[in-house]
Order: sequence, then C-alpha cells, then structure tokens
Amino acid sequence: MSCASKKYLSLMNKVLDQEATEQEERILYEHLANCVECRAHFDELKYSTDLLCRLAHPQLPAGFTKSVLAQLPPEKRHAIRRWGSRHPVLAAMAICAVPMSLVIVGARRQTMQSRDKNGYVLVKVSGDQT
Amino acid sequence: MDQKEKRLIKKVKKGDQQAFAELVDRYKNSVFAICFRMVGNTQEAEDLSQEAFIRAYNHIDQYDHERKFSTWLFRIATNLSIDFLRRRKTSVSLDAVVPGTEGLSLNTILPDNGELPDEQMVRRENEEMVQSEIKKLPEKYRSAVVLKYIEDLSLKEISDIMDIPVGTVKTRIHRGREMLRKNMTAGGGGQA
Repeated sequence: MSCASKKYLSLMNKVLDQEATEQEERILYEHLANCVECRAHFDELKYSTDLLCRLAHPQLPAGFTKSVLAQLPPEKRHAIRRWGSRHPVLAAMAICAVPMSLVIVGARRQTMQSRDKNGYVLVKVSGDQT
Repeated sequence: MDQKEKRLIKKVKKGDQQAFAELVDRYKNSVFAICFRMVGNTQEAEDLSQEAFIRAYNHIDQYDHERKFSTWLFRIATNLSIDFLRRRKTSVSLDAVVPGTEGLSLNTILPDNGELPDEQMVRRENEEMVQSEIKKLPEKYRSAVVLKYIEDLSLKEISDIMDIPVGTVKTRIHRGREMLRKNMTAGGGGQA
C-alpha cells in the first residue's frame, strides 16, 4: 500500500474488530471507493478471516467424556450425600426407616411390658408374635 | 454464567464427578476445537483436551467463581496447546507429518450435511489450506486468532484467557490477520 496507508490500515482493523464508529466506517468506505489498492487489501483481509470463520468445528471422538471421567482421581468425600441427592425417594425411605424401627421396637416393648403387668407368664412373652 | 453452571461447579468443588461430566459435555466441543486448531492434529488435540479437563477438575479450587468458567477452562486449554507446540518444536523431526493431511480425515472434519462429493472436495481443500495457514502463524498470534475466529470470543474475553491487555490482543490479531492475508492470497489461489 502506497497511499496514506497507516491511517487506513488502522481504520480497517477497527472496522474488522467491530470497534469503529459510524463516522470512521464512512471515512474508510469512502476511501475504499476511490483507492484500488486499499480496496484490494481490505477485501483480502476479509476473505481470509471469512475462511477462518467458516471452518467447521471438528467432531470429537465418541466416548470423550467417559474417558475423561475414567482418568479422574477416585471420588472420596460426600459420596453418601450425593447418592441421597440422586435418589431422593430412597434416601427419604432410609431416613424414615430409623425412627420407624424405633417406634416399632418401642411399641412392641410396651405391649410386652403391659402384658407383664397383666400377669402373663414371661416364657410366653419371649415366644410372642404368634 | 448461568445458575445451573454455578450449581454444577459447586458440586464439582465437593468432588462430584457426575456434575463434572455435565461440564465436560458443555464445553468439550469448544475445548477440542481450540486445541485442534492450535496443534492441527486430532489425536494430539484429543489428548490435550482430556488433559485440560483433568487439570480443571484437579484444580477446581483455584477457579474464581466471580469469573466465567469458560474463560478459565479455555485458558488451561490454550496454555497446554502452547506448551505442547513448544515441546514439539524441539523434537520436530520425529513428529513431522505430511503437510495438510494431519487429522483431516473426512469423518472428523466434514459435517454430514448431504453435500455433493465435489462440494465436499472443495470444502476439504479449503479446510486444509486454512488449517495449514493457521499452523504457519507464530503461537501467540495463532492463539489470539483461533480464539477470535474459531470460538468467536470478544477481545475482552481473549484478553482474560491469555492474561494480556486488550491492546496486546488487538495487536496480535491484527498481525495474525495480516500474515494470513499475505499467505492466503499470494500462495493460496487468491480471491474466491
């Protein structure tokens, strides 16, 4: 480029970076209309970046995520908590199971005791549940 | 960054690998594209992408949640690619491949979009030409150009990823663009 190229070159870059003001854009395009050399330069810049933009994203081999996971260090903490968040129903059942079993055991004991007071024979209590 | 991603990262910080798998699925294509355009070979790009994710997982505590996760991740990927290129430079004779053919097999590059065979041929030739021109760029211009034109990132994001001022990003992109222009139009058959 032989004309006052520095100025226009930086304008071209601004336009290509989408950072030019409307006025700057107008100045550039007016110049390009009259300057074959700058016009060619600008077209070439656009041509090469257009080719770049049009490149297809390469396709990733299948199983990529799996093989990344396989290479991670083993999970350590909070495994139980995570299991719980993934299976909320089972977790709720597991949590309920504790007080429930206490209640059941307690209830049974109570019945045993009351039977005791009522004068049932102890031998009969141990063989209960018939 | 969306809320779902924030939640995922929180879980990953606690060591949840299932949450991490979701992050990998989100970003694997971008990370792979960056690595592939940087090194120009699918196998090496895949290895580098895997390494990038593994590093991200192992160093998730260093991730600052005030910033974009993608920025942090792309930074790891870019740095790994640059390191790889530097290492390869020292052993270039061993890794020499026929120019323009590396990793560009039909099924890896071409989307299956029902193109006619000669359209595919033209596209493939173009792809190969562009890829080999990208490869000629010095690393620091190459990474800026790849992030800008392959990943379509803003200058600010690129500056965060590369940890250099926006002004420097611009200079690198301008120089890279100028080199591409020279090489593509002088040697590469000119304007379409």
